[in-house]
Amino acid sequence: MKLYDQIFDVVKQFKKLFSPGPVTNADVSGSITAEIFLIVSLVISTLLLRHVNVLLAGLVAFILAIVLISNIPLIPKFKIEQEDSLEKMLFYAIVTLAILVTFLYWGGNLV
Amino acid sequence: MNELIPLMVIVPLMAALLISAFSKFNKITKIFAFVVAICLPIIPLASNYGLHYFGGYAPIMDNVTNVMFHPAITYSFTFLQQIFIAMVGLLTFLVIFIYLNKYKEVSGPYLFLLFLGTAAVTAMLLTDDIFHMFVFFEILALAQVGIVAASSIDYSYEMALKYMILGSIGSPIMLLGIGFLLALTGSVNVTDIAAAVHNGLVNVTSPVFLMSLALIFFGWLYASGLPPFHTIKSGIYSKAEPHGAALLQSFTVISMISIVLIMFRIYSSLPIFEVLIVFFSILAMVLGVSLALTQTDFRRMIGFLAVGELGFIGLGIGLGTQFAITAGLFQALNEIMITALLFIGFGAIVNATNEVDTRKLGGLLAYHPKVGIMLLIGGMAMAGVPPLSGFQSKLMLVQASLSCGFPELSILAIMVSIATFVVFIKTFYAMFLRPKPNDLEVEGKEVPRSMIFAMGVLLIIIILLGLFPDAVTSGISNFVGGIL
Repeated sequence: MKLYDQIFDVVKQFKKLFSPGPVTNADVSGSITAEIFLIVSLVISTLLLRHVNVLLAGLVAFILAIVLISNIPLIPKFKIEQEDSLEKMLFYAIVTLAILVTFLYWGGNLV
Repeated sequence: MNELIPLMVIVPLMAALLISAFSKFNKITKIFAFVVAICLPIIPLASNYGLHYFGGYAPIMDNVTNVMFHPAITYSFTFLQQIFIAMVGLLTFLVIFIYLNKYKEVSGPYLFLLFLGTAAVTAMLLTDDIFHMFVFFEILALAQVGIVAASSIDYSYEMALKYMILGSIGSPIMLLGIGFLLALTGSVNVTDIAAAVHNGLVNVTSPVFLMSLALIFFGWLYASGLPPFHTIKSGIYSKAEPHGAALLQSFTVISMISIVLIMFRIYSSLPIFEVLIVFFSILAMVLGVSLALTQTDFRRMIGFLAVGELGFIGLGIGLGTQFAITAGLFQALNEIMITALLFIGFGAIVNATNEVDTRKLGGLLAYHPKVGIMLLIGGMAMAGVPPLSGFQSKLMLVQASLSCGFPELSILAIMVSIATFVVFIKTFYAMFLRPKPNDLEVEGKEVPRSMIFAMGVLLIIIILLGLFPDAVTSGISNFVGGIL
């Protein structure tokens, strides 16, 4: 019942996503689909790490699955981070540039 | 007729300038814009394949090293350029046709921006000169900003300004990367740079070469709207006029493939290059589709779906085999048509209802059955339902990732297609199938015939390419074989 309550809480939190305005069944089911899609696709993506090391892939997938599931609902958090705020867009653009340059310049054998 | 190769850029460019200069003559402007727009898809179809050297400076052979140098800005015209330029030309024609029919008094500056954008993407596809590509990339960015700012939608100015500010980071960074390449190789000709890299004249593990990859790659992310630029890209689509958005997304796809093909020729010897493309493509697919699922503004929803579809193109190119790149480029061609169809179709609904919130719509199938059915087929094509063109390209991508030894990517691609289908069916149900809300006024508001015509033309191409994919895939495959 604890998991059921947790999922029910998630559904209630989706209401905030669509405010102001009415929340329809289609909107909530769409958000639940997005939630499940996000978790499953990220976990499957981490399996690609098996080309580096099988143990690493299993470990990362397992830890990521636990972290993601224990942090549901993820979509409201993702949506807040990806709104039309210029500050957030600039922040993520600069972070990406910094990671790219750092990784390629100092990546050593990984590159 | 190789003389037609430069005309593919010159005709829209001159048309843009002339229309802007003589825009006060409304009727002449309309006729001129219409005639030029018809010519745009015809010129690439009438032209022969070949090379064009601006200024007539043919390549020079160095007798000591036996290396060929290209002193001129070179345009290369093959089947790939032909099919994409013809498709963008056709789309420009349809968009201008819709625009000319919609407004009695046309705006010269707006038509200028549409033609300028078309000229820019055409040049980006044709050029074999990385600096020339950058110049048109900048021109394209300005045209895109202008098209968004010129729309009558609320906050369009704000979104255009944000896009320009982000561009002021992306573009100079890319230019810096090109500068590094120039410093290393002494050339801006892509063939010369690629020859220098593959013949061992450049140390591919040198930090300067790797840094140039990082910087140009970042510029490519901005041009393509892949994360972290997916939010702004979907934002500008939603704030442009629907027909403008249809053209904007084609500009994005073309600039994405033209830059990535140049990068592929230069950096393909670095395994990290393909890893980076696949990583950002996965991110785009996952973020694009999951955010599309939560949208209530259907223009924004299509914007996020368009970003998600870009991930499929990147996936094909990132896998790096001939079959995978062919699949990615075929997917690019399909996306141009399918997304344009959806933008125009949903734009027709905005035109008829003045509403973009799916929660306030309903019952539209009874009022606009033609638009509804064409949108349904377009959405199915985007989701990859057989026998439409989207199915063929996505099937090829799934097969390509399986044959490359990445079943995870195949599963992911199928999941994204299913999620896309869910997004579309949810929106279609909300807008067309459920009972009409009482406060929604749709009576007496007709969808312009020009929009129906444009959707019909795009739909026919989508169905034909779904039934006969070999008509384009074999030509694309030959092109890819040449660059590998």
